[in-house]
Amino acid sequence: MVWSGESRQRDPWSRGNGGLPPDFEKIIENITRGFKAGKFNVLFIIAVILAAWIVFSSVYTVGVDEVGVIRRFGKYARTTTPGLHFKLPSGLETLTKVKVSYVYTEEFGQRTVQAGIQTEYAPDSRYLNESLMLTGDLNCAVVPWIVQFRVDDPYKFLFKVRNVRSTLRDMSESVVRAVVGDRSIDEVISGREDIASEVKVKLQQALDDSEVGLSLVNVELQKTNVPEPVQPSFNEVNKAVQEKEQLIYQAKEQYNKIIPTSLGEAEQTIKEAEGYALDRVNRAKGDADRFLALFEEYSKAKDVTRRRLYLEAMAVVFPRLGNKYIIDPDQQGLLPLLNLQKEVKGQ
Amino acid sequence: MRNLVVTLVVLFIVVTLLRSTAYVVDETEQVVITQFGKAVGAPVKDAGLYFRVPFIQEANYFPKNLLDWNGEPGQMPTKDKTFISLDMFARWKVTDPLTFFQTVRVEAAAQAKLDNIIESATRNLITSNPLIEAVRNSDREMEIGEVEMDERTKEIVKKPIKLGRETIARKIMEQAKPKMAQFGIDLVDVRIKRINYVDEVQKEVYNRMIAERKQIAEKFRSEGRGESFKISGDREKELKRITSEAYRKAQELMGTADAEATRIYANAFNNDPEFYSFINTLAIYKDSVDKETWLMLSTTSDFMKYLKRYAVQ
Repeated sequence: MVWSGESRQRDPWSRGNGGLPPDFEKIIENITRGFKAGKFNVLFIIAVILAAWIVFSSVYTVGVDEVGVIRRFGKYARTTTPGLHFKLPSGLETLTKVKVSYVYTEEFGQRTVQAGIQTEYAPDSRYLNESLMLTGDLNCAVVPWIVQFRVDDPYKFLFKVRNVRSTLRDMSESVVRAVVGDRSIDEVISGREDIASEVKVKLQQALDDSEVGLSLVNVELQKTNVPEPVQPSFNEVNKAVQEKEQLIYQAKEQYNKIIPTSLGEAEQTIKEAEGYALDRVNRAKGDADRFLALFEEYSKAKDVTRRRLYLEAMAVVFPRLGNKYIIDPDQQGLLPLLNLQKEVKGQ
Repeated sequence: MRNLVVTLVVLFIVVTLLRSTAYVVDETEQVVITQFGKAVGAPVKDAGLYFRVPFIQEANYFPKNLLDWNGEPGQMPTKDKTFISLDMFARWKVTDPLTFFQTVRVEAAAQAKLDNIIESATRNLITSNPLIEAVRNSDREMEIGEVEMDERTKEIVKKPIKLGRETIARKIMEQAKPKMAQFGIDLVDVRIKRINYVDEVQKEVYNRMIAERKQIAEKFRSEGRGESFKISGDREKELKRITSEAYRKAQELMGTADAEATRIYANAFNNDPEFYSFINTLAIYKDSVDKETWLMLSTTSDFMKYLKRYAVQ
């Protein structure tokens, strides 16, 4: 919003007058001039002018979003609601209109250049003196904010405080700094809502105490940050947090890649052992049963079975043998005839 | 014609007289009437229409509403030797217009008096208290994230507040208020608007903040690495546990099976160990003998004995 505005009615700081007392000298001068010109109806003209002035300065309208405050000889007389009203002519009663339902906005540490769907803000650095403040851990923070308010009590607004705007601005700066001064830099960056609500309560209290007749609608902290030279190091912290998480995820990834596989492998080892066990026992049982069966028959005819088994084995073994030497123990000096080494080499 | 001139002249005189007799006091004003520069009667504090003796008496207007004072930011050291720039503001009222008229007369002079008095009171309070007293307002527990503060800051921050921002401002007001009273001025309140470090200190503070953050960043990175190693360790341990448990279980299973088999074999073969040896040895002969095998047999052996003789022995 505009303070030294294009529209007088929107400007709450100028005490707009209903009308100035007319300049008597000028009127008289006019009359004299008319007289000299030999006009005989001068008095009539005066009467008409006077009548017009009285009518025009006596009738006034108050818009729907405002109230009219009437002062009679400077003294507060009454407050009038929206509509058409009459008062005593200027000089006796003066009218000041106050917009009571309009929500005004004051910005700190930033300025809206052009409000709209995409609001443009003026560069913050120009208003750094408004937004730079100390935190409770003696660091510096940049805290821009806006304060929205309405005129709550037109009487107080007009008469109790001379410079309402600077009172509001000074109070806001003081209260925001006091609240931020009790918080650490981390809290200032992350806890904007909390700060805004505390500021709202304290600022309203301060405004009530100073009788400016304003009522806060909203206090909003914009993006809080650390001063520009410090920002890269704060970003580095955020980056480090990301890095930390990434490292942990990578490690977890490796874990998840290996452990379930090895669980399966373990299961396999156990199953294989179970297989081995089954195999071993079954074979043992089989072997034992076979032996027992054989043994049963063997015990009925030991000698002949032995002979049979022996010979059957020999029948298999003998034909397979490569070289067979049959030696008579009575024969002497056989060994020199056998060149074992040579035979092997000859193979 | 003549009548008209007379009427106009009379009218002119009446109006002029009226204007120099009647005066209007607005809601925001108060008036001291002076006669030849000297105050006459009680000051007019209520708004409305008033009259005075024309030409001799003069109406001097003073503001009645709350006025503001905004000092120039002043630089001063705190008790702990930190140079800060301090911006104060105050609100005041002319409560005794007569005294005001007699002592300071104009508002600009009053502002100058406020400049001096508030500034000296501010200096008194600020230089005799550490910085933290003017920054903090209560002993509210602050959340100090991951910062490893240097000892000095830690000490400053942890120490309970003796006065606090609002109390310091109030004490400044208490010092200044009686001094302003003699000028017919009531100092309604004094507040600290802005406290900032002076530029050189600011730079040091920025460097400290950067160092703090760097160290936090390092801590996070290190934590990440540590956590990663921990997870790797867990992974290795878990792996070893799983494989070794599986091995143990497998060995147990196989051992039990071996024992069972042994028992079964023993039970069976114990019937005739010699016979067991006999058939198994024969089986081994069958399996192990091949073309490469040389065998020398004596004709005295059981197998070859028939080669030399066939008679029943």
